[in-house]
Amino acid sequence: MSRNLKRNLIVALILVLGILSLVGCSNNNEEAKQEDSFEKLKEQGYITMGVDDTFAPMGFRDEKGEIVGFDIDLANEVSKRIGLDIKIQQIDWTMKETELNSGNIDVIWNGYSITDERKEKVAFSQPYLENRQVIVTLADTDINAKQDLAGKKVAAQNQSSAVEAMETEPELVAAFDGGEPVLFDTNNEAFMDLEAKRVDAVVADEVLAKYYIKQRGAERFKILEEDFGEEEYGIGFRKQDVKLLEAIDKALDDMKADGTYDEICQKWFAE
Amino acid sequence: MIDYIIRLMPSMLSGLQTTLEIFAITLIVSIPLGILVAIGRQSKIKPLVAVLQVYIWVMRGTPLLLQIVFIFFGLPIIGITFDRYPAALIAFILNYAAYFGEIFRGGIESIDKGQYDAAKVLGFTPAKTFKRIILPQMIKIVLPSIANEVITLVKDTALVYVVGLGELLRAGKIASNRDASLTPLVMVGVLYLVLTALLTVVFQKLEEKYAYYQ
Amino acid sequence: MVLSVQGLYKSFKGKPVLEDVSFELGKGEILAIIGRSGAGKTTILRCVNNLVKCDRGTIQVDGMYLCKDDGEKSNYARQADMLKIRKKLGLVFQNFNLFPHMSVLENIVEAPINVFGTPKKDAEQKAMQLLEMLELEDKVSSYPFELSGGQKQRVAIARACALNPMVMCLDEPTSALDPELREGIAVTIEKLAQEGMGVLLITHDMSFAKRVAQRIIFMDEGQIVEERSKDEFFDNIENQRVKNFIGDYA
Repeated sequence: MSRNLKRNLIVALILVLGILSLVGCSNNNEEAKQEDSFEKLKEQGYITMGVDDTFAPMGFRDEKGEIVGFDIDLANEVSKRIGLDIKIQQIDWTMKETELNSGNIDVIWNGYSITDERKEKVAFSQPYLENRQVIVTLADTDINAKQDLAGKKVAAQNQSSAVEAMETEPELVAAFDGGEPVLFDTNNEAFMDLEAKRVDAVVADEVLAKYYIKQRGAERFKILEEDFGEEEYGIGFRKQDVKLLEAIDKALDDMKADGTYDEICQKWFAE
Repeated sequence: MIDYIIRLMPSMLSGLQTTLEIFAITLIVSIPLGILVAIGRQSKIKPLVAVLQVYIWVMRGTPLLLQIVFIFFGLPIIGITFDRYPAALIAFILNYAAYFGEIFRGGIESIDKGQYDAAKVLGFTPAKTFKRIILPQMIKIVLPSIANEVITLVKDTALVYVVGLGELLRAGKIASNRDASLTPLVMVGVLYLVLTALLTVVFQKLEEKYAYYQ
Repeated sequence: MVLSVQGLYKSFKGKPVLEDVSFELGKGEILAIIGRSGAGKTTILRCVNNLVKCDRGTIQVDGMYLCKDDGEKSNYARQADMLKIRKKLGLVFQNFNLFPHMSVLENIVEAPINVFGTPKKDAEQKAMQLLEMLELEDKVSSYPFELSGGQKQRVAIARACALNPMVMCLDEPTSALDPELREGIAVTIEKLAQEGMGVLLITHDMSFAKRVAQRIIFMDEGQIVEERSKDEFFDNIENQRVKNFIGDYA
């Protein structure tokens, strides 16, 4: 190694260490300045809602490119009631908590399941929709119960609550072909792989699974009776944003009481 | 089917627009920047050379995706905040300027030292030597490598999804998820192919233009 | 006198290449510096053309100091004067170093137009005269890769002449040529001298030096060993090192 290269490597190392220590310091600062941003949001007049715009039917783009979906209708109704506009920002789903905590968005609201792991990172609103982690297979397979998944290939969306739900049953996951689920970027890819018969089952949110199956022809799939547990969708907030959370919770209560909530459910989930 | 494709077109074209914007702006800024990097690498100012070496090392040594994430999510921690679009562009420009810089440096170094002597005895300043003698010869040498890099750039633009920008591939994924269909992704593939075909032709023409001498 | 070199020293990495070299070149004179490769001939040429800086010594071109020794070191001319001095010097490289991306005409007019601000029409007219003199009229728009070695050399000469230099330097003018082309280049060099230029040529080709030079300097190990008019040089070889050299190359 030439002396020049050596010296440059040392310079580089010092630079990297410098940056890291800067980042370290400012992380500490960040923790110190946790304040409720409600007043600030009221001043600017809107909150930013983080949406994965590939997430049909909760939030996705229609053919005109408009973002639509159950969560979008719900959010628009909430917006009227709390007197704040809602700006929709599409995000990469794997970066959602980072987007929230860096202040790029104010709420994660897009079929966001409430889990213990997530509760450590964000504050959740009241649950606004029941959901199950269902197991979907092709109609003609001999998989009829959870135990039949042993030795099979099981797919799910990366970073989704389906993965967390499966991890509550580690022995079963260990018995999968490959010892772990096959992870895809989107549920759609997981389902396409199921149709291609490279995986034997997909674990996904019930609402998403039903939407997909409806699109592709319900008779070709089956949803097992057993599931990986019930869960609920909630809205994710920064932990310090208590006032915003309370305002939205109250709006949801009112909407459930006066029937608006049921109307929106009817629109998107009527069988 | 044709109906479906026609219905998909508007959202695809708007995705394509973002793809083309990122592509064009990256190219227009990173090529001149790359030339500056190449010149800087040959400078006699040691600290400048060291800084550029580290810059190139970091840009080529880490994934572009990571660089985009770092610039958008990481820099705000030290007080530098960019919007999504500028953040993605900065990452692309810095990354591609490093690659172009190394290609240009290779091109410059492959030019016979006698060309510098000839320019010097004819009274050329270093700047004029570069502009009139070195640069035109370098372009011919680097064209094939640049063509490669430019076609890679077209496809790399898809990485901006990580900061929530909707480009061509994402437009395809949205439609594919919504309609549970592969057709949108096929369309995306065709559009990328059309783009790279156009670029291939452009670079062929450029190479022909520079084929007048050996 | 168009060129005067006094007390020139140059070393590379502590190894002396030139030691106390002094000589002069008159208007219209043809001077050949001969010697083995490594004797320092090319370094003289590079010093005179300011491609390398000498350690000590004084070089004067047509009355202007390229560098001047103050008793401790050699001080070089300021940038503005340097350009004037450049204009008085022409150099034809051993492998010509033509610009491959430019046509013959562009090679010749590039410096007059873009460095010295000569109007395009004048520069091209002058270039055409030179090409005519060098019998290259039909190659005006050819590119260097389309030319033979001899043609390239003549283009290089035309390019060096385009600035009307007072001193024309040629580095090993016969090394890249077929033997039958030597007479042609000898005639060309004589033409340049007739125009009034001082011609300084460097060669290890004894017979060519004998054919074209009026005066000959023999160098060995960075020093001038012999300096004579051509006839004296060849009629009267006494120095053993010169004898050895001629013995090797004759």
